Amino acid sequence: MENDNPRRRFLKAGLASTSLALLAGTRANAMSLKNPGRDAGDARYIGRKDSHFVMILDLRKCIGCQACTSVCKVENNVPADQFRTFVTETEVGAYPDVRKAFLPQLCNHCEDPACVPVCPTGATFKREDGIVVVDNTVCWGCGYCISACPYDKRFFNKRTKTADKCNFCAQRVDQGLLPACVETCVGGARIFGDLNDRESDVYKILHNFPTTVLKKAQGTKPQVFYIGLDSKVVELFDTTIDLDDIVKKKQGIEREWMKIAEEVEHHG
Amino acid sequence: MQNSRRKFLLGTAAVVGAASVAGYKETLTAVSTLSDKGEKADDSIYFNSPQAEYSFSGDQFVPNSDYKICPTTCIGCTTQCGVRVKIDKKTDKVVRVLGNPYNLLSTDPWMPYATSIKESYALLSQKGSFETYRSNVCARGNSIFDKIDDKFRVLKPLKRVGKRGENKWKEIEIEQLIEEIVNGGDLFGEGNVKGLKDVRDTETPINPEEPIFGPKSNGLCMIGTTHEGRFKTVIHRFLKSFGTANFMGHTSICGLSMRAGEAAYLGNFKKYPHLKPDFEHTRYLLSIGTPPGQAGNPFKRQGKLLCRARTEGDIEYVIVSPMQGNSDTLAVGGKSSWIPIIPGTDLAFVMGILQEIINNNLYNGKYLAMPSAEAMKTLGDASWTNAAHLIIQDTEGAGHILKDNKIPVVLDADDNQLKPASLVSQAVLDFQGEVELNGRTYSVQTSFHELKRNVNAYSIKHYAKECGVAVNRIQQVARDFTSHGRRVSVDCHGGTMHTTGFYTTYAVMMLGAMVGNLNYKGGMSAGGGSYKDFAGKQYNLFAYKGKSKVKATRIDKTRMAYEKTNEYKKKVAAGENPYPAKDTWYPFTNALESEVITNSAKGYPYKLDVLLTMNANFMYGTSGGQNHLEKLIKDPKKAVPLFIAVDPFINETSKYADYIIPDSVLYETWGVVHAWAGYQTKITGLRFPVIKPRQASFKNGQPVEMLSFAIALGKRLNLPGFGKNSIKGNDGTWHSLDTPEDIYLRVFENIAMDGSPVPDATDEDIQLSGIEQFVPALKKICGQNWRKTAYVMTRGGRFEGKEKSYKGNVISHSYKKPVQIYNEIVGTTKNSLTGRTHSGTVKYFTQQTVKGTPYSKLYPQKEYPLTAFAFKSNVLATPDTASSRLKEIQYTTYVDINPGTAETFGLRHGDLVKVSSAQGETTGYLRLRHGVHPDTVGIEHGAGRRGEGAVDVEINGTVYKGLISRRTGVFANKIGLKDPDRQQALSTDFVCGSNTRQAIPVMITKLG
Repeated sequence: MENDNPRRRFLKAGLASTSLALLAGTRANAMSLKNPGRDAGDARYIGRKDSHFVMILDLRKCIGCQACTSVCKVENNVPADQFRTFVTETEVGAYPDVRKAFLPQLCNHCEDPACVPVCPTGATFKREDGIVVVDNTVCWGCGYCISACPYDKRFFNKRTKTADKCNFCAQRVDQGLLPACVETCVGGARIFGDLNDRESDVYKILHNFPTTVLKKAQGTKPQVFYIGLDSKVVELFDTTIDLDDIVKKKQGIEREWMKIAEEVEHHG
Repeated sequence: MQNSRRKFLLGTAAVVGAASVAGYKETLTAVSTLSDKGEKADDSIYFNSPQAEYSFSGDQFVPNSDYKICPTTCIGCTTQCGVRVKIDKKTDKVVRVLGNPYNLLSTDPWMPYATSIKESYALLSQKGSFETYRSNVCARGNSIFDKIDDKFRVLKPLKRVGKRGENKWKEIEIEQLIEEIVNGGDLFGEGNVKGLKDVRDTETPINPEEPIFGPKSNGLCMIGTTHEGRFKTVIHRFLKSFGTANFMGHTSICGLSMRAGEAAYLGNFKKYPHLKPDFEHTRYLLSIGTPPGQAGNPFKRQGKLLCRARTEGDIEYVIVSPMQGNSDTLAVGGKSSWIPIIPGTDLAFVMGILQEIINNNLYNGKYLAMPSAEAMKTLGDASWTNAAHLIIQDTEGAGHILKDNKIPVVLDADDNQLKPASLVSQAVLDFQGEVELNGRTYSVQTSFHELKRNVNAYSIKHYAKECGVAVNRIQQVARDFTSHGRRVSVDCHGGTMHTTGFYTTYAVMMLGAMVGNLNYKGGMSAGGGSYKDFAGKQYNLFAYKGKSKVKATRIDKTRMAYEKTNEYKKKVAAGENPYPAKDTWYPFTNALESEVITNSAKGYPYKLDVLLTMNANFMYGTSGGQNHLEKLIKDPKKAVPLFIAVDPFINETSKYADYIIPDSVLYETWGVVHAWAGYQTKITGLRFPVIKPRQASFKNGQPVEMLSFAIALGKRLNLPGFGKNSIKGNDGTWHSLDTPEDIYLRVFENIAMDGSPVPDATDEDIQLSGIEQFVPALKKICGQNWRKTAYVMTRGGRFEGKEKSYKGNVISHSYKKPVQIYNEIVGTTKNSLTGRTHSGTVKYFTQQTVKGTPYSKLYPQKEYPLTAFAFKSNVLATPDTASSRLKEIQYTTYVDINPGTAETFGLRHGDLVKVSSAQGETTGYLRLRHGVHPDTVGIEHGAGRRGEGAVDVEINGTVYKGLISRRTGVFANKIGLKDPDRQQALSTDFVCGSNTRQAIPVMITKLG
């Protein structure tokens, strides 16, 4: 199996034009790029100054029901067949010593995000409350952040033609509500809150419970924490393929899929 | 996060190496065209998310006036969860679905019922008690509302223009449709069709030879689906008024083996109660073929409670199933384990456990020796059994329980004297011999003795060999099961839908009797019940002038013994052996949807004139439906001369209808729903129209759907119970029945007033739950009680507080009847084909035909080396196919086999394969999973559709092309078998008649 590092694949594909490569080289500059919304102090760009939002995924409480996957698409009006979050379902071991494993995944809202410095326009940045967001009016869709993310949690939004990803449902969080996936999690595996608030569940859990993050060695300091994550599970996810995709290709679904998607969007 | 890298579906190390699909190609093609501007999003940061439905600015609650949030009930599966629907007021479109925090099917603990609506929102906000009251919606409920506006939805009444099943239609007005079905005539140019006015003959016998079969009006049969809140009205108002006994739900193709087996265990074939584990407090759960969290009912509640128990509590759970379901997760370590088993052999496994428990005295002897309610009270227990009751073994009275003056008599353990059970607190448990009662000697044995004898009919080694589970594993389960006092539980459901499912269920439940877990915290619960709805304090909505008492034999031959027919009596009078009867009879089964078409085709007990279905889909949902019933339903002369379907979509069944009446979808209609099981407190959920129904209306403005159609048809036929003076208040006043609202607002009022009435709803409650539109009708219909009725509507129902769940260690709403170690009704009922009496307690059988021919003889292993089973999807469900969005969450279904099996058969991950039984075949792509027993083939049910947008439909000359995304996947029921012992009948459980979709012998071959 080929190395799964998205950046390597990106380069190997040979699509990086000279100008893009130059821009990608200006890491430091990207950090200092201006963003009009943020500079104007717009609340959507700043977030809640005194907060530090994190999510904990307690895998003991996940049954892989995909309620989060489903609500995320609806709440965020994510284009057809694209996803901001999902739950991977796999098996560990071999019959009869086999176990089920589920891994809910989303943007890790890293403390030191790999996606931010590579952005040539300042479209993606970390708000003061820790939520990493994309400004779709500034993003020009170069895809650098998509390949920079070590977690493969960004995608190219088919409709806006910009980078897209989970933003912890900022439209709800900014109104005092919770991310939709947290609201709808059947087992109660998704726990969200403000780490600066000592009374919060997330504060208490993170200070009393062993948790882990995905791909710690990448050094991006994810702010999405897992309880009960087995290292074997992560390795498996990097090496398995999705049978759905094979079947979709064999059945030639693509054209119909896009048509349905348009209709669904039309129906709202 | 491209689609191809989502990896939703099971991947295993074993499958790596199959063709890889590029992950980034599409992305890179797309991003390389920088000049191509996309659509402008609604918001620079929030993209295209709708605005929040309300907000908290500091602690200030600010509703968003663009939206209303209405409480209602989801009908995306059979659970009937309470939800809150966010509706865009301008467009009347649903934009999001949230859990109802008052409803235990969506949350646990649920909010105190007295919580104001405003406070309920505050509690669910960041600053509230979110982790406590989080109320959720599953993958289905969150997505499926796009089906409301699906282009394949039937919006106008349809009449077929081609032959049956050609799927060619023309739209007609509902008034014309009613005239045609009432009057009949040459409706399709195929000859005369009898109309409903002629079918409704409540005098002339439908079969002159058998007056007990009832009048000709029984020529109308209605088949529904799950109880989604409207059936009671249709049955009591329309069908009973019409004069037919023929109403079927979908139980016989769903979980009837489980329902019938538990009804036998609980001694109640009238109400068919069933038990569920108290998941929250159980210490040891043995689940046979129904992994909680994979599917099951209540789906979310079971999943949530299991998650809590295994994380915060002290549970060990064992899933015995051909497939490792989603109950398991590596994250909980040894708390969860899986025992792989061959489908249809669970009975052997359980018999082994019972043998180990009984022969090693691991059972609770003191519990089993209590022979009466009085003994239970004396000893302070919470349930009791008939284990010590004496069963007569003499020819005369064989199988009956020995009684004196209707009270069972038992041998007192203290003095070995025969006494009324009510006077004995501990009786002799294990006895066979003679006793004397009122001067007569009886040969008897105790229920327990018969059970003990039956479980010892084979050795544990034999049972182990049959089910493929090692002897020591069976013994270990027996010891673990009996090591936690009363806080142990068992469960089974759809896995028992095979030919010996009735006794399998009975045996699974019997394990509970060994420890006495009924009514105990952490044990088994029969559910908390519901509030009085149709017959309540204010109205009895079942009663009306001229209501006829329908006495008839049902088309499915249920609720009736063969021995009551003239066929039997004549044979006996002529000195002939009355057995076999012409076909099977099922005296203690309540309904068999799966027998209707075949029985009518055979004309036994009689032939139907009209079939009316309501969202039914027996052609897809019945094992063997498509491959065996099609020819019977396609030809109007064979089984169904007139077929009227009420259906929001054209499905595999309504495709064969003569007329289709559009029905409402999800949140558009009225209903009253209850929880099934798995809860300890009273709950009643409500549904009322919160969006405008999309389909056509009657001239009076009422949207066309099942209820308005039944009312219009009832009025047209001049049936009693419709129109003026049809509803009687308990205060003696009379009211009209012209709209569904006339019934349902009164039902809601009954619920509000039941016991001690609910408080008044405030104006704020009403406004914040978006029910202002109902206020004028509430005031008009409910008068001074209108605010109380509004209160139950604003909360989406009425719910007892969680604190009422237990009294000490006992479940508050306990089940009162005794556990039946021996069921007298079963033990005195004969198989009408063989004349053999059924065993009154659990007994071992292998998969067999109705007369007892083993499957192993009919379907030799050489030809059918694997055993197929179907399992419920945790995402897809039959009623949700018309949701394209749900297909994005799960695209398709597969044929699942073990990698080792694949190697044996030379098959690879992703191969297109054919699964064939002796009488049917289905195709699909192969998926390898380690979590499948090597001797089996698993098929996830819910895809592979041939209706609801999957096939071409022609309406008014326009062809609508079917979609690949709705056809994709495996149509599990196409491999269903017939029973060779019967003429034209599908394979069934040999006792209760349930349709068998499990344990089908099959062969698997590669295609192409």
